[in-house]
Amino acid sequence: MKSTISISLVLKVLIYSFLIYFIYLLALITAQYIPVKYDIAFLNIKQDEIQLTHYKLAFFSHVYSSIFIIVLGLTQFSKTIRTRFGLIHKISGKSYIALVLLLASPSGLVMAFYANGGLIPQISFSILAILWFLFTLKALLYIKARNFQKHRAFMIRSYALTLSAISLRLFKFGIVSIFELPPMDTYKIISVLSWTINLIIAELIIRKLHQQKTNE
Amino acid sequence: MKRISYVILIALLASGCNAKIKDSEAKIEVEAGTEATEENLNVDHKKGTNSENKGSVLGSWVGYFEEDGKDDDYSKDIFVDEGFHWNRANKINISIDKITDETVTGHSVVAGNHRPFSGKITDGVFILKEPGDDKYDGEFKFQIIDDELIGKWTAYKKINIQKRKYTLERKDFVYNPDILLEKSQRYVDWNKYKKRIESAEIEGEEFEDWVSKEFSSATDLIYTINASNTILQKKDVENLKKGDLTIIRNTIYARHGYSFKSRPLRVFFDAQSWYIPIHTDIKSEFTELEKENIKLLLRYEKNAKEYYDYFGRG
Repeated sequence: MKSTISISLVLKVLIYSFLIYFIYLLALITAQYIPVKYDIAFLNIKQDEIQLTHYKLAFFSHVYSSIFIIVLGLTQFSKTIRTRFGLIHKISGKSYIALVLLLASPSGLVMAFYANGGLIPQISFSILAILWFLFTLKALLYIKARNFQKHRAFMIRSYALTLSAISLRLFKFGIVSIFELPPMDTYKIISVLSWTINLIIAELIIRKLHQQKTNE
Repeated sequence: MKRISYVILIALLASGCNAKIKDSEAKIEVEAGTEATEENLNVDHKKGTNSENKGSVLGSWVGYFEEDGKDDDYSKDIFVDEGFHWNRANKINISIDKITDETVTGHSVVAGNHRPFSGKITDGVFILKEPGDDKYDGEFKFQIIDDELIGKWTAYKKINIQKRKYTLERKDFVYNPDILLEKSQRYVDWNKYKKRIESAEIEGEEFEDWVSKEFSSATDLIYTINASNTILQKKDVENLKKGDLTIIRNTIYARHGYSFKSRPLRVFFDAQSWYIPIHTDIKSEFTELEKENIKLLLRYEKNAKEYYDYFGRG
């Protein structure tokens, strides 16, 4: 019994350090856009789009809000914070939901419309933005209805999609290192893999949690 | 199950540590003679030599400027084929500009150097001296036999390659925006070439570095995309790898007869039969279309270098 506890502890530490490391990298990426610049990083290959005011607004609200969303979301799955520091869970949860619903997912949808690489990334990123909005909204509605189990399930789905910011870049790094595909071919692939894999993992986690619950 | 997930996690963590978000050192080398700026006027330049000189000795003589054995081994006549290894030979253009009764004047263009020379003809042997104020100056000594300019060159100062030899053909430079790269022997079997280069100990790290990191990423698209006669759109360049972008951009310079300082580019373009090094400064030669394309290509090259194999997304 004792050994299983320590194993799950090790796993927890690993998962958290994994996420924190990549969130740190995302923060570095975000920092490139401070102060507002139009000729840096991703924007170098969005020169036509960044001329458009609505794209500018969408891009910067997406970039600036997303980094907070991913940090806020990280705290939400900890049982310790949920039970002992309920206020923190509530405040950061509300901020998370507000930022996703009002800024990050609508702006993501606008950006999806202009996605590089043609129809596949455009459709894939649009679905991502819409699902992100819907899952987050559902999570909000379920907690309002005090349905904790469903709230948790939809928050897991929502955060899985939030983490596509990391998986997208990890898949890109992997594909490029192993297969050395041209940039846009890579992009088409990762635009789909980046969130579908995450969602599959989320469903597996939800199912497992559900089983645990019924076992108890 | 748990064990597997540990292994996966650790592997991901380890790989993640190597992945910085971008290559912040990434800088695309643009040689001073090729900087396309807005202020450059489009002057109608004399394109190389006049065609009226055809058949005479005046004009450009083009070919390989090869290392000439050891100091004590003049007679050693090594034929180095144009194939798969670089023998430190650069394409040279010896331009004989003027011949009067007493003197011959002209200039040579090789490896990004444009040097004047002057001298005399004695019994059909041209002896032409460079000014001597450059480390790499020296003396040309050649004859023109059966439409070939054959001779040697000796440096004044102690430099790495003291003696050079050359057999040159008379060629006229004409700017042709429609010209495309040909699949020269040097390029077709690239993997083989790459291996050879890596095993050969060639001084100058830039060469090997470039070969393995950038050149190998070029694809066949470099033979079909012409940035001198077509305005390139985002969709034409966004799926290109860094190597493709670099070659496509530098092919613009090569069409204008730019003499490359960068060694790998030199080796690559020297092998193109149409390529003649004419200028070391082509800033004012670009067409508006080329300037636009250069700007676009540079932006994508920089992005490819910064982000292609990094965690960050560009």
